[in-house]
Amino acid sequence: MLYKNYIKMHMKSSFQYRFNMMFVAFNQLLIMVGEILSVYLLFLQFESVAGWTFYESLLMLGVIYTVYSFVEAFARGYDEFPKLVQSGELDRFMIRPVNIHYQIFGSRFEFTKFPRIILGIVVSVIALVNMSVDWNVWKVLVLIATYICGSFVIFGLFLLSAGISIYTVENLEFLNIVTNGSKELAFYPINIYAKWFTRIFTFVIPIACFNYLPLSFIMETGSVPMWLCGVSPLLGMLFVLPCLLFFNLSLRHYKSTGT
Amino acid sequence: MKSYFGIFKMEFKGELQYRAKALAGIATQLFWGLLQVYLYTAFLNSGSVDGFSISQMASYIWLGQAFFALRYVTMPKRVGQEITNGNVCYKFVRPIGIYNQWYAEGIAQKLAATLLRFAPIIIIGFLLPKSIALSLPVSVGAFFLFLLALILGLFMSHSLSMFAVYLTFKTLSEKGSLGIVSSIVNILGGLFIPLPILPQALQEVLRYLPFSYITDLPFRIYIGNVGIIDGLIYIGIGLAWLVAIIAIGKLLIGRALKKTVVQGG
Repeated sequence: MLYKNYIKMHMKSSFQYRFNMMFVAFNQLLIMVGEILSVYLLFLQFESVAGWTFYESLLMLGVIYTVYSFVEAFARGYDEFPKLVQSGELDRFMIRPVNIHYQIFGSRFEFTKFPRIILGIVVSVIALVNMSVDWNVWKVLVLIATYICGSFVIFGLFLLSAGISIYTVENLEFLNIVTNGSKELAFYPINIYAKWFTRIFTFVIPIACFNYLPLSFIMETGSVPMWLCGVSPLLGMLFVLPCLLFFNLSLRHYKSTGT
Repeated sequence: MKSYFGIFKMEFKGELQYRAKALAGIATQLFWGLLQVYLYTAFLNSGSVDGFSISQMASYIWLGQAFFALRYVTMPKRVGQEITNGNVCYKFVRPIGIYNQWYAEGIAQKLAATLLRFAPIIIIGFLLPKSIALSLPVSVGAFFLFLLALILGLFMSHSLSMFAVYLTFKTLSEKGSLGIVSSIVNILGGLFIPLPILPQALQEVLRYLPFSYITDLPFRIYIGNVGIIDGLIYIGIGLAWLVAIIAIGKLLIGRALKKTVVQGG
């Protein structure tokens, strides 16, 4: 299979710079530990925020770490899509008889993100073990759907910013807000932010669907109807469709940079 | 001295070319600022911290966004490349010390990047709704002390950045070296989380480490979390740290340079 070859190729090239790769991975872990520590220290000082306790909040951190690193590892090509546009390499992709998405997925692969995915899962498990929840089948299903929804939404955001870069060519710093901003936002249950802020990240970019809505369902709290909280991850997944459509339409407008 | 000033002027002008980039950066800064102000407002609503009210917190955050270019650890441009591709040998032949050359370049770039970006954020910060706005400094004296501490912060920030240059010599990996140094500085210097919000015992320790002198001290002086007299004492401690850090950095880089082998090219 072609994808297997892609991975093999990236594996070989990454392991040529083993020391650098270890350095980068170690550094990313250091940042994550710093972030987890920050959350811990904040809750040490304040005990709870807007009704959420430390472990409930920690679960959110675990979810976003897991899904974000997962998408970054496998869909890095979309994250670095502006480079493909700038260098004109995208032209070559377009004349090959293989689906373009398949090629973009194969164009980059980040092995350095794997420690983060693992840490994300570890953080989630620590949080889940320490939360007092009456588990039932529905809650388990919602939890699983949360991770899937998160991956879809983050991937949708990557598609969105990749699509925009077709028009702007330049890798504009503010596109960072869309991807990284959404990530940092989701470190906490997002309904602690100001109302209008929460609304944007519920209805426009559905961060809430893998954040405080399923958390409310699992903890059986909050003012949103329970059934709505329960199906929110499913609704959130739909976000990827318009993003995909946008990306594909933008691709039709692609003008080569000519180099 | 004249040659340092020359380097400084050249780098400064170079940095001013990236105006569009700076503009895009402002939007980003605003978003991060809002995010953090709302986050810590939620926390401070759940319990209060002495000497760090919500409005003081908002000022602290907006100052942090305005002077973000000063806070981040960056290597002087091209230095990483020069080391890895061997062009560093051209620096050897110049009649001024390499450490000093890079130091002047880096300070100039950092200062230019800061001057380009800080004003819009400050202005917008003042214009925001009262509950999330940047407030005026507590007193005129505090304002001048704030400026003084900020200059110290600029030098401190860059002196710590020079350790990344040293690590690049050792590892030949620019990204990795820069990452390690900046992670440490970010965690201990209050970029992840405003230091005044941390548990008291931890603050006591961080106060005497060099990292909080980059921007935490100036911001605390501005919002009145640290008084004028205490502020002066801390600036004194910061200066002592600065001298020590530059000395250590110079020593390490001097040593690394002696062992440098430039392979043809």
